[in-house]
Order: sequence, then C-alpha cells, then structure tokens
Amino acid sequence: MAFQEHWVEADGFRIRAMSAGDGPPLVHLHGAGGLRINAAHELLARRFRVIAFEMPGFGAEENTRTRDMPELAATMAKAARALGLTNFNLMGTSFGAKVALNIAVRNAELVRALVLEAPAAIRPAGLRPPSGAPEAIARMIYAHPERMPPMPATDPARAARIAALTKRLRGLDREPDLEARMSGLTMPVLVVLGTRDTLIPPEMGRLYKDLIPGAHLIFVYDAGHAISAERPEAFVEVVADFLEREDAFVISRANTVLLP
Amino acid sequence: MKVSYFETGRYRVPDSVPGVWPMPSGVYDVEAGTDVYRGMVERITLAEQLGFDWVSLSEHHYSPRILTPSPPMAAAYLAARVHKIKIALLGPIVSHANPVRLAEELAMLDTMADGRLIVGLLRGTTNEALTYDLNPQESRERTDEGMELILKAWTEPQPFGWQGRHFKYRTVSVWPRPLQQPHPPTYALGTSREAGEFAARNRIGLGVSYGPFEVMGKATGYYRDQCALHGWEPTADQIIFRANIVLAETDAAAQRAMEAYPARAAFAMGTGVANALRELDTRNIAGEARPASVNRALPINFVGGPETVVEQIRRCRDLTGAGVVDLGFNTPGSSDPNALIAALELFGRKVLPRIRDI
Repeated sequence: MAFQEHWVEADGFRIRAMSAGDGPPLVHLHGAGGLRINAAHELLARRFRVIAFEMPGFGAEENTRTRDMPELAATMAKAARALGLTNFNLMGTSFGAKVALNIAVRNAELVRALVLEAPAAIRPAGLRPPSGAPEAIARMIYAHPERMPPMPATDPARAARIAALTKRLRGLDREPDLEARMSGLTMPVLVVLGTRDTLIPPEMGRLYKDLIPGAHLIFVYDAGHAISAERPEAFVEVVADFLEREDAFVISRANTVLLP
Repeated sequence: MKVSYFETGRYRVPDSVPGVWPMPSGVYDVEAGTDVYRGMVERITLAEQLGFDWVSLSEHHYSPRILTPSPPMAAAYLAARVHKIKIALLGPIVSHANPVRLAEELAMLDTMADGRLIVGLLRGTTNEALTYDLNPQESRERTDEGMELILKAWTEPQPFGWQGRHFKYRTVSVWPRPLQQPHPPTYALGTSREAGEFAARNRIGLGVSYGPFEVMGKATGYYRDQCALHGWEPTADQIIFRANIVLAETDAAAQRAMEAYPARAAFAMGTGVANALRELDTRNIAGEARPASVNRALPINFVGGPETVVEQIRRCRDLTGAGVVDLGFNTPGSSDPNALIAALELFGRKVLPRIRDI
C-alpha cells in the first residue's frame, strides 16, 4: 500500500499529509519525533483510509505562530475538515495523542472513535522528549532497538527547532482543564501502552481509565514507547478491531476449532 | 540461611514395573496414591515442627516421581493443615498455563494461606513440553510473557487487555488480589540469561537448581549484575538454591546410600523422543549454552553426615549467594517410608540449628 504525499491548506498553514487506503477515514497525528510512515500505517491502510498529517512546524517549515496545544488542535481539526472529513476515527501518538485529545474534547462531533498510542497527555513529572543521537533516541523509544532498522539521521538544527516547538506546545505534565473535560467524552476511546515504555510508563494507563468513562486500556507486551513501529501486527490487530467493533471488540470472535 | 523442605509427594512403584515417561496410568494404585497425600500432610507437619521455614511444591506430570501436577491444588490442601510454615510453589509451569488463571489461583491461595505464599515461576523441565502439547522452541518466550502477565494481573488496578505474542486477552481484572501487597515474594526459576534478566528487570527473586555450586554461582552472579544495572540489590532471601540431599548419621553411611543412587532418570523417555527434545529445547546458564537435561538422574548436591552437610551448605552460600536452600530428601536404596522421616528429623536436630547464622 503506497502512501501518497499531498498538501492541505488550513488555518493559514500548508500542511503535509501522507494518505493510503480505502474504507472509513482514520486520521493520525504523530509524536514529537515527527511523521514517519511505519508498518502499522501500511497495515491499517488495508482496512481504513489512513491520513497521516504532519503537524505545522514538525517538517521542513518553521511554525512560529501556534502558541499552545488548543491552537494546534484547532488547526488540525481544520485540516481534517479541509479534506472533507466531518466524522472520522482519530489516532494520536504520544505528543500527538495530546493533540487528538484536545480535538476530541473541543470538537467531539468530528471524532467517531479515539485511539491514544502511548499518550503523553499526562506525563511523569520532568519527562523530556527524546533527544540526542539517533542511537540514543532508539534506546529511549524501543524495547529492542537491536531488532529495529536504524533511525534516520536528523539535522541538528531542525531537531533543535522541533524540540523548541514541542516544548512550547506540549503544555503542563498534568492539565486540570483537559482532564476535567476528558470525563465528558462520549465516543469510544482506546488507550494503548507498551509494557516496556520507559517514557510513558504503562502504569499511567490507569489514569485514563479513571478519567474517561468507558475507556479501554490495552497493554502491548514487550513494546517500548514506539508501539506501532515495534510491534505493528499486535498494535494494528487491536486498533482495527476496536475501530470496527467499538466496545464489542472485547468479545472474542476468534475461531479456535483446530480440526473440523 | 533459610531452609525449605521440597515435598515431592513421592509414589513408589513396585520394582517390577519398568520406569518410563510417560508412565502408564493403568499402573496407578488408588490406595498407594491415597497414602501419598496422607504422607504429605504427615511430613509437612513434621517439617513445621522441626522449624523448616518453607515447604515447597512443584509441577510435574504423567509419572509417579512427583505427584502434584497441580501445585496450587496441593498448596490449598496443605495450607489448611499447617499454619506457620510458608508454602512455596516452585513452581507452576508458566509456559503451558493460562497466566491469568494462574494469577487468580495464586491470589486465592495467598489469601487462604494468610499471606504465607511464595511463588516461583517456571519454564518447566524438557519432558513437560509433551504435557499439553507445548512446542519446546516456544517455551522460553511463553514463560517470559506469562510471568509478566501474572505480575501485571496482580498489580494493575484497572481492567486491561493484553496484546502479547503468545497470549491475548481483551479483559483482565483479577479478584481476589493477593493478601501480600503488591504481590507474594516471587521468583523467576532458572539459570538462563532470560530468567536472570527478567527477574532483575521486575525486581523479583531468582531460583536456581541442581547444578554444581560454581556453575549456579554464574547464574546468580549474572542475576546480581543485572539487578545492579536496574539500580537495586537483591537480598539473600531472593536467591533460592534447590538441590537433592542424602543425609545420614555419618559420612560413610551417606556414601553407602549413594551407591544405590541411579545414574539414569527413574522415568526415562524413549530414545527417539529424547534425542529430538535435546535438539529442540535450547538451554543456557547466564548466556552460556548447555544441553537440556533429558533422561539424566538429577545430581545430589548435599551428601554426608550433619557436619559435612553444614559445610556444604556454607559453601553453597559462599558460591551462589543463596539465602534459601530448598531440599529434596533422598533415601537411595531404602524403600522404607520411615527413612525419609528419619532423614528429616536428623536434619532438624543436627543441621538446622547450625546453619541459621550462615
């Protein structure tokens, strides 16, 4: 499934997107490391129309305008609307999960179902986004960096610019206003955490369960922070099942007959 | 040094019956079997009176050698009959268990036993791959994943789903939770690099068994190094050394008994199966490959009169760092059931008081 690059004009930004697949739309918002199409996107695109946005400032262009997370969320909601999307599945990864949550609490009508991958909407005190050499970043985001292809080298100036942008937009470790609004979410919500995530410890999943009525919590065994890159089959199996069956995804439909 | 008595629930088959694995269950005698379970209570009551700290149970299948295919079941039976001694499951075979079910049963047991439960989580001996049709090449990975799921099931306060490699659940939320919080003292059992790393990463203990002290010391040393990498240091109680013992009044008497100890496993698999398992079941000690133990009799690590055994236990402590010895009492050459009782009493009288400060 080949992802096609295209551009969307929204909120005064020219926003890059990668899209593939047919089926119900699924909008993805990347983490602080930027947009990278991985095996999970490819697998999801077999069942969904996947639109992976590159949020303004996380690519080649600088973003000096967006002041905070709610503004970024408003921009990304407009980008989705600009593609004609009025009700879609929304998936956010890490930093992007906080953007996705901000969209869901402010523009609930847009979001059919919400998937939060290793969400950084609630962060352990003092957590800093991964930085440094590609090998150092790989050790921070993967449980098994030795099994992963090498991280692409990054231009230090660009990395510093994106780090500053992340710092400006990411907000507080805990946001009382956002957390209060989370209790009002009514769309199906799935929170996915890796059991070996050292940035957002899997124990933080329970906070989302406490805050969002009816949210589902799934641990992906032996995955670090970059769950969908590290265990794409495991990640996509549960995410697709959830998006297709919503709350009923907890009921097994596996055929266990061995020898009919 | 703490001491654990390994209760095997030994069932004696008449000498005329050839020892094979699996043992035909048609050979089983219901009265002899009933005696085994009665005898377990008698021996454990005695071990408690003698001052043993723990009684341990383990999981084996399809032979009379160890008659506790379900250690939680045996533990529940015993927990109601002795009241001080801790009950150590060393351990349930995680690789062919439903880990969530195991977490539930162990939490029940800990509650019913007033918080006296100790848990060792085990990959299983090579032959057990045949029990319940487990692929021996998957047993290591299934064990690691199952252990992690058990710890999660005990400690996660919210319902969760598990997207594993070998296990998948959409809904887990175990009741009861263990009485001991966050969970009972837990050990990964094994000498492998994987067991040592898992135990270190999850801040649990390590149990090694049967090998020479120097070799087991490599496994416990690796574990301690890994713990240091994870920023903590295990206590002596967090290292268990399980071994066989032949104890007699004198060294000479113990050596005489050893002459009757078999070189080959009492219940051996056929050659074709054994050879295939040796190929498929890869094992290691702290990362160094070693052949799977198939059809070999287990070694005896402690042999002699009380004086000698005390010194051997001291050496074990020095070389492995173990603060708990888990002892399987052997009485080679004797079919008298009282021989085991006599050995236990001798240990309680002449060894136990002298190893407390080791």
